[in-house]
Amino acid sequence: MKLKRAMGIAAAAVLLGGGAAQAEYPERSIGMMIPFSAGGGTDVPGRFFAAEMEKILGTDIVVSNVTGAGGTIGATQLSQARADGYKLGFMPVGTTTTQPHLRRTSYNGDSWAPICLVAQGPQYVTVLEDSPVKTVDDLIAKAKSGKLVTGGPPPGSLPHIAQAAVANAYGVKFTYIPHEGINEVAKSMLGGRVDMAVWFGDAKARFGLRPLAILDSKRSAEFPDVPTLAELGQPVESFVWFGFFAPKGTPDAVVSTLSDACEKAVNSASFRGNMEKAKRQVRYMPRDEFAAFFARQYEQNGSLLKEAGLVK
Amino acid sequence: MSLIDSLSLALGQIASWDVLIAILIGTAYGTLVGALPGMGTVVALVVALPFTYSMGTPAAIALLLCIYCSSVYGGSITAILINTPGTPQSAATVLDGYPMAKAGKADLALGWATFASAFGGVFSLLVLIVAAPQLARLSVYFGPVETFALILFALTCIAWVSSGSTVKGLLAGAIGLFLASVGPDTMTGLSRFGFGVDALAGGLSLISVLIGLFALSEAFIRAAYYREGKPPDIAGVGFRLPPWGDIRLRWRILLQSSAIGTAIGVLPGTGATAATFVSYAEARRTSPRRENFGKGEPDGVIAAEASNNAVTGGALVPTLALGIPGDGGTVVLLGALLIQGLVPGVQLFQNNPEIMIGAFIVILIANVLMVGFGALGAQGFRRIMGVPEPLLMGSVVLMSVVGAFAVRGNPIDVVVAVVAGIFGVIMRLAGVPVAPIVIGMALGKTLEQSLRQGLMLNEGSFLAFFGQPIAVVIFLITLFFIAAPVYTALRKRHQG
Repeated sequence: MKLKRAMGIAAAAVLLGGGAAQAEYPERSIGMMIPFSAGGGTDVPGRFFAAEMEKILGTDIVVSNVTGAGGTIGATQLSQARADGYKLGFMPVGTTTTQPHLRRTSYNGDSWAPICLVAQGPQYVTVLEDSPVKTVDDLIAKAKSGKLVTGGPPPGSLPHIAQAAVANAYGVKFTYIPHEGINEVAKSMLGGRVDMAVWFGDAKARFGLRPLAILDSKRSAEFPDVPTLAELGQPVESFVWFGFFAPKGTPDAVVSTLSDACEKAVNSASFRGNMEKAKRQVRYMPRDEFAAFFARQYEQNGSLLKEAGLVK
Repeated sequence: MSLIDSLSLALGQIASWDVLIAILIGTAYGTLVGALPGMGTVVALVVALPFTYSMGTPAAIALLLCIYCSSVYGGSITAILINTPGTPQSAATVLDGYPMAKAGKADLALGWATFASAFGGVFSLLVLIVAAPQLARLSVYFGPVETFALILFALTCIAWVSSGSTVKGLLAGAIGLFLASVGPDTMTGLSRFGFGVDALAGGLSLISVLIGLFALSEAFIRAAYYREGKPPDIAGVGFRLPPWGDIRLRWRILLQSSAIGTAIGVLPGTGATAATFVSYAEARRTSPRRENFGKGEPDGVIAAEASNNAVTGGALVPTLALGIPGDGGTVVLLGALLIQGLVPGVQLFQNNPEIMIGAFIVILIANVLMVGFGALGAQGFRRIMGVPEPLLMGSVVLMSVVGAFAVRGNPIDVVVAVVAGIFGVIMRLAGVPVAPIVIGMALGKTLEQSLRQGLMLNEGSFLAFFGQPIAVVIFLITLFFIAAPVYTALRKRHQG
C-alpha cells in the first residue's frame, strides 16, 4: 500500500514537473494560417517569414491556407481559435482593417493580439509601359476629357480605396472595373482595356508596368525618379502591409516571445534577401507599436470606406 | 546567351540526381494524388510546396511541373474504375470511361486515357515551345466580351453531355449556374446567398460539390444496392495500350481534342473542366462513332483526357510568357518561382532562358513517364479493385471528405459535399445527369463576371458586344450549334 502511494506521489511529481516544463513556449509545432491561396501575394512573404520563425523558435511551423471572401474565412476561424499561442495568422491590411467594415464579419479590430508588423510597402499609380499617359497631369486630363478606366480587385480592396482617394483628391471620376484578382487586372492592362491601376512594388518587374507616382510621404529607393503624389500637390498615401496576429487572449508572455522572435526573423539576412528578390519591402514593428498602428489603420480605413461611399 | 548555350545549360541542370529523382517522385506522386478523389491538382502542389524550399531551383521546378502535369492524368484512373473522377478535370472521362470498364474493357480504357493524356500533353507542349510569346500576346486581347461569348458557347455542350433527356440536362446546368452565384460577388465585393453563415461567404467550392455528386453519391448508391446483392465487379482491370490501327482510326479526335484543350488553356478564365466538356461535346458531334457515346466509346475517353492534359501546356503559355497564371495550378507554380527568387513575368524569359528550356524538357519527360507509370500501376489498380467493396468505398468516402476539407481548409466544404452527395443520389434515381451541374458551376462565375465587366466597359450597352468581331464569330457558331440539331429534328419530323 505504502509503495503504491509512494509511486502515486512520484507519478504526480513527474506530471507536475512536466507541467512546469510546458510553460516553456513553444513546446510543440505552431500553426500559421494564411487567409489566401498558396503562391499568392500574401502567401509568398508569409512562407518566407514562417521559414525564419521556424529557425528562431526551434519548432515546426505548419502553414495552412484558409481561403475565400477576401481572407475573412481564415480570419474568422483564427479569431475563434484557442488562444494558446499555437494558432497564429499572417494577414494583410485588407483582411484585418477593411473587410470588417465592409462585411458583417464576426471579428473586428478588437479580436486580435497583434504580434508584430512584418512587411509594409507603398502602392504606386501605374500605367502600361507604352501608354501615352506620361504624368499624373496627363492622367487627370484624360479623366476630365472623357473616360479613364481603372481596374483592380473587388470593391473595398486596398487598390480600390486608393484609386478612389486619388480621384477624390483631384475631383475627377474614374471608371472602376472590378476583377477577380490582380492576375486578371494585369491581363486587362496588357490587353489595353484598363488604362491605370494602383499596384505595389512588383508591378514593373512582373508586368512591365510604369509607375507614375508613389503613394507615400517619400520617394522609394527602387524608383528614385518617381515623384510622390504629395510632391504633386495631393498627399494621398496608401500602403499594403502584412502583420503577424494571435487571437485575443493569447498569454502576454507568449506574445512577447513571438514579437522578439519576429524582430530577429524580419531583420535576418535571408528574409531580407528573399523579400528583395520578390520585390517586396520589409518593416518591423514590435507588439505595442504595431498594436497602436493597427488600431489607427483600422479607424482610418473605416473612414476612407465611408468617404468612398462603400459603407454607411 | 545563344539558344544552344541555354539548351546545354538546361540539359546539364536536368542531368543531375536531384532533378531526376524530383521528376520520378513528382510524376508518381502527381498520378497518385490525382487519382485520389478530392485531392485535386492544386492540393497536390500545395502539399509539395514546402519541400521545394530546401531544393535547388531546377529540382524544385521539375518536381512541381511533373506534379502539375501528371495529377491531371491521375484523375482518369478513378473515373474509369470506380465512376468517381479524381479531379474535376476528369469529370467528363466518367461518361465513357466507366461504361467501358463495366463492359470488361477497363484495361483498354486506361490505355486510351493514358495514351490520350500523354498525346494531349506533348501536343500542347509543342505549341508552348513554338508559339508561347505570340499566343500570350493574343490571349491578353481576349477581353470580357470575347470571354462571355466563349463561355456562352461552352454552355451549349450541356446538351451534348446529357444522354437521355436534354431538358433534364439543362435543368441540371441551371442548378450549377445558380450554385456558382453563392458567395462573394466580384463586382460589388459583397456576399450573396450566405444566409448569415460566415463560412459560406467564400462561396461553394467546385471540388466539394464534385466530390459529393460523384464520389459520395456513388458510395451511397452502391451501399443501397448492396442489400440486394453484390453489384457487378469491374473485370479486366489492367493496362493495355490501344493497338496502332485503332490509334490511326481515331487520330483526328486526338488532334482535335488536344487543340481545343490547348486553346482553352491559353485563354485564362475558362479552365480545364470546361475544356474537357467542350472537347467531349465536339467529339460527340463530329465522331463517326457518335452513336456509341455514353455507352463506352473510346472517342469519349480520348476527347476528355487529351483535352485536359492539353490545358496544362496552354495554361503555361500566359504563365511563363507574361507571369499571368492560366489556372489554379499555375498560381502555385508562380508562387514557387517567387520563393526560389525568380520573378515570373516579362523579364524571366530574357534573363533565364535555360529555366524555360529546362521546363519544356521536364514536361516532355513527365508525359512519357506517365505512360510508364500507368502501365506499372495497373498491377496496383488490380489489387486495389480486388479489395472487398465496402472497404474500397469506405476509403473513397474517407479520402473524399478529407479532400473536400483540404482544398480551402473550410469545414463547411465537408457539409456541402455530404449534401451534394445526397442530392446526387436523388438526381441519379430521377435520371437527371449530374455532369451539367459541374459545367454550370465551373463556368457560372466567369459568365457573370465577363458579362458585367463587358457592360461596364461599354457603358451598359449589350449591343456594343456585337461590335467585337471575335465575339460575333463565336456568337454565330453558338447559334449554329443550337439551331442545327433543332433544324434537323424538325426536317425529320416533317418528312416522317
